[in-house]
Amino acid sequence: MNIIKKSMAKMSFFGLLLTLAVSSFYAPTASAHGEKSQAAFMRMRTVMWYDLAWSTDELNVNETMDITGTMYVFHDWPESVNLPTTSFLNIGIPGPVFIRQESYIGDKIVPRSVELHLGNSYDFKVVLKARRPGEWHIHTMINVDGGGPVIGPGKWATINGSMDDFTNEITALTGQTFDLETWTLDTIYAWHTIWYIVGIAWMAWWCRRPIFVPRMHMIKAGRASELVTPTDKKVTLAFLIGTLALVLVSYNSANSKFPVTIPLQAGKFRSIPVSDNTTGDVHTTMTEATYRVPGRAMRMVVSVHNGADEAVRLGEFMGGSIRFLNPDVAVDEAEYPENLLAPEGLSVSPDTAIAPGETAEIEVIAGDAAWEIERMSDIIYDPDSRMAGMLFFYEETSGDRHMAIINGPLIPVFM
Amino acid sequence: MSATQSAVVSHAEAVKASRTIDYVLLFVIFFVVLGGYHVHAMLTMGDWDFWADWKDRRLWVTVTPIVLITFPAAVQFWAWENFRIAWGATVCILGLLFGEWVNRYVNFWGWTYFPVNFVFPASEVSMAICLDAVLALTGSYIATSIFGATLWGLLFYPTNWPMIAGLHLPVEYNGVLMSVADLQGYHYVRTGTPEYIRMVEKGTLRTFGKDVAPVSAFFSAFVCILIYFWWHFMGRWFSTIKFIHQL
Repeated sequence: MNIIKKSMAKMSFFGLLLTLAVSSFYAPTASAHGEKSQAAFMRMRTVMWYDLAWSTDELNVNETMDITGTMYVFHDWPESVNLPTTSFLNIGIPGPVFIRQESYIGDKIVPRSVELHLGNSYDFKVVLKARRPGEWHIHTMINVDGGGPVIGPGKWATINGSMDDFTNEITALTGQTFDLETWTLDTIYAWHTIWYIVGIAWMAWWCRRPIFVPRMHMIKAGRASELVTPTDKKVTLAFLIGTLALVLVSYNSANSKFPVTIPLQAGKFRSIPVSDNTTGDVHTTMTEATYRVPGRAMRMVVSVHNGADEAVRLGEFMGGSIRFLNPDVAVDEAEYPENLLAPEGLSVSPDTAIAPGETAEIEVIAGDAAWEIERMSDIIYDPDSRMAGMLFFYEETSGDRHMAIINGPLIPVFM
Repeated sequence: MSATQSAVVSHAEAVKASRTIDYVLLFVIFFVVLGGYHVHAMLTMGDWDFWADWKDRRLWVTVTPIVLITFPAAVQFWAWENFRIAWGATVCILGLLFGEWVNRYVNFWGWTYFPVNFVFPASEVSMAICLDAVLALTGSYIATSIFGATLWGLLFYPTNWPMIAGLHLPVEYNGVLMSVADLQGYHYVRTGTPEYIRMVEKGTLRTFGKDVAPVSAFFSAFVCILIYFWWHFMGRWFSTIKFIHQL
């Protein structure tokens, strides 16, 4: 007997140690969202995010930050991704470190899925309320049904303070005001505890006598009918009736406590307002695009027709959320994420103004290590080797901006 | 002591050994069932049980009892057939709930900070006790499948309503009507769970007005009868020691 006990004690101790060892593996903090792993064509040819602005990058618990911008739903949407007819304006954060207090497309609040159309631009705004202290990477993001998440630029933000101070007060239409963090939590704990105790009591009744070996022997001896006694049946009946009664009482009690309830709300929002922060009077046609692998540079030959009233110069190319700026024309004033910004990454030839009414052919080279760092170079491995991006032209005197979309086949250059 | 000698020498020691085996086996059964059943539950009911804003009147009520009657039916057969003990379903549910609470509290709250009132699991203890009780009273698998499995399907919604009722209060949020649970889903960001993948109120059950939960529960109960039979035989086929003789 002692030998069995000692052996079991040893085995149990060994099992405990093994469990602790396995469960104690180092788990590093996730600080990004796999945005670099997303196929390059997804980042270039689905949703183009521009004019992004973050209201702050440091805030205290309970304070809010706004992320605003415009997203262009690319008109030549890739064949391999479902159309964004059912989409959801999300936000890429590591769990609810913020709560999403509000989110808008145009002036319409969008807590539910929406229908977007190819070729349209949509202004958006997401209001986040700080909840958990730390330094967090925050991405703009839109989920496309059947296409997956389309992730936009990410920026780091720091939340100071203590999560214990966070409150999320809500007032229901029934007049009750409560903190959403803890609402009904006591009821949930109470009912789970009550039911668990009832379950243990039920098992305890059957386990009060020897369970396995003697009962198995009796069944093998043909004495199974002796194992469930009349008392067992009475107690079982009491448990059955008691359980049904408890369910009935708790159900009615909940209905008395909350006489007004509604079902979960769902359904898609259509007629989403379209942005007017979109095209300009400069029209472009891309005639050639190559990506030079050793030089990490994309070369584009673009025919530009200036339909504006003033001469324009090319100031920026944006592809896959990476902004390549022509420093003579454009500078970043939005504190755009550094890893996605090439302040001197754009060279234009000839880099001269294009007069009103003039049509000119220019060579544009967007070169920066960001192609490699952000794994956009992988575009040459895509099954449909095409590129897309936005060109931003600026009027010489007024500084007014004209944007144009370019897209077309992309030829890699390996030497 | 040799292999041919008994490890116990008296009746008292035999009783002690028997109880020790009871406790060890109970411990093992609890955690083995917990592991297998928990994986099964996560793979089949998954999000329906993870989030308060998935617990709707139709599919949550229909799907959860159907996918959860599986292991209880199998374990119930094993426990009743071999030992005449009637807690096969209850031990499954207690194990499942223990595992789920560890998961929700440690992972969902402790690791990712989702509020517990948004990620709590449903309770199925009442259903399990009724399933076990019907078997203990009738001693019949057919009666258990018809009456017990029906109770299993019917009791799910009323058992859990006290926990979710407060989350179904109406809220007007910037001009949109939402339940408190919807608002939780909106506030507590889930990057990988966009709103459109919720299966809420989907289907063609429109002729019963707002009273779809009882209809869903009855349908679920009916399917539970069939699934109980199926998994009863799973228990019958797998709780065998025939393979040992073949070794």
